Amino acid sequence: MTTVRMKINGRAYGPVTVRDELTMNDFLRERLGLTGTKFGCGAGQCLSCAVIIDDPDGTSHTSPTCIVPAASFNGKSIRTVEGHATNGELTALQRSFIDHFAFQCGYCTAGFLNEGQVLLERLAKTPVARDDLEKTIADAFDGHLCRCTGYIKYHEAVRDVVLADPGRYLT
Amino acid sequence: MKFAVLAGVVGLTTCVTCDSRSATLATPETFAGIGDAATRSAALFTELGKVLTNPRCVNCHPAGDRPHQGELGRSHQPPVERGPDGRGVTAMRCPICHQDANFDPGRVPGHHEWRLAPREMGWEGKSLGEICAQIKDQARNGGRSLDALARHIGGDTLVGWAWSPGFGRRPAPGTQKEAGALVEAWINTGAVCPK
Repeated sequence: MTTVRMKINGRAYGPVTVRDELTMNDFLRERLGLTGTKFGCGAGQCLSCAVIIDDPDGTSHTSPTCIVPAASFNGKSIRTVEGHATNGELTALQRSFIDHFAFQCGYCTAGFLNEGQVLLERLAKTPVARDDLEKTIADAFDGHLCRCTGYIKYHEAVRDVVLADPGRYLT
Repeated sequence: MKFAVLAGVVGLTTCVTCDSRSATLATPETFAGIGDAATRSAALFTELGKVLTNPRCVNCHPAGDRPHQGELGRSHQPPVERGPDGRGVTAMRCPICHQDANFDPGRVPGHHEWRLAPREMGWEGKSLGEICAQIKDQARNGGRSLDALARHIGGDTLVGWAWSPGFGRRPAPGTQKEAGALVEAWINTGAVCPK
């Protein structure tokens, strides 16, 4: 058993005791009722279960939760899909996903949204050239699996957020 | 008669799918009967080769830039890549999934230094003679002397993971201590490579 404390979507959780074999996915969905993060393959391959980890150095990255113990998130600050909108106001990326009809069944969407958000925040700190944008987006989404959409509209949705504010995201 | 035939078929099927890799390592003393030192040295390395060519080692010492998984060396899923430092690309770093220890509920092996071996240390598909020459070559073994190589194989904890790989993975043969003993005996007999 491990006692964990963490921040999720800006709110402190814990101390709470968890079994060492409890996955972070089960902790979010079963213990906390945060069911926006999905359980897809259970093998770290589809990334439907990915959440954002905000690192102390100001950067962020995504992590699967299906094959990672909840105990390893002790002390961390994470964001789930539930934490994007503020007071009901959607983020630019969420609006772009809707405008582009980027998702269908929605099961992979939380993972794509988290990954896209991390990408936008990274580009805001380290812009890229327009010529490198397509590969940058493709590399960021590499590994996220979707059985419905063919990925194109997810890609276009992120791209259009970038192109709508080139001074922020592009060199 | 029918039962005998069935048993034979089952046995044949089992044999086709069975793994003939040894789970043990011979001790250096076992080779004392080989009088010629060079021959004995090469034989010691051949025994050590059971460890070096085991999937627990080869999976992360691949020929290319992608690790393997499992007993049959299948491509790692998800399809991760080496990245600039051997610990993955930006959006898929090794430590994101591979924690400090094995996580058996997720079948994920772990160690705080989890990463691919450097490209020049890949020996997938090579013969024992080639592997031997490679791990002796300081240009390709991280600048290690033979003594440092012995300490690496016999004592490094990431190497040691191979003998405690977690659920669903067969450990490397023998123990790390036994592998270390073979390395030292090989060095003491001239570190001769098998042909």
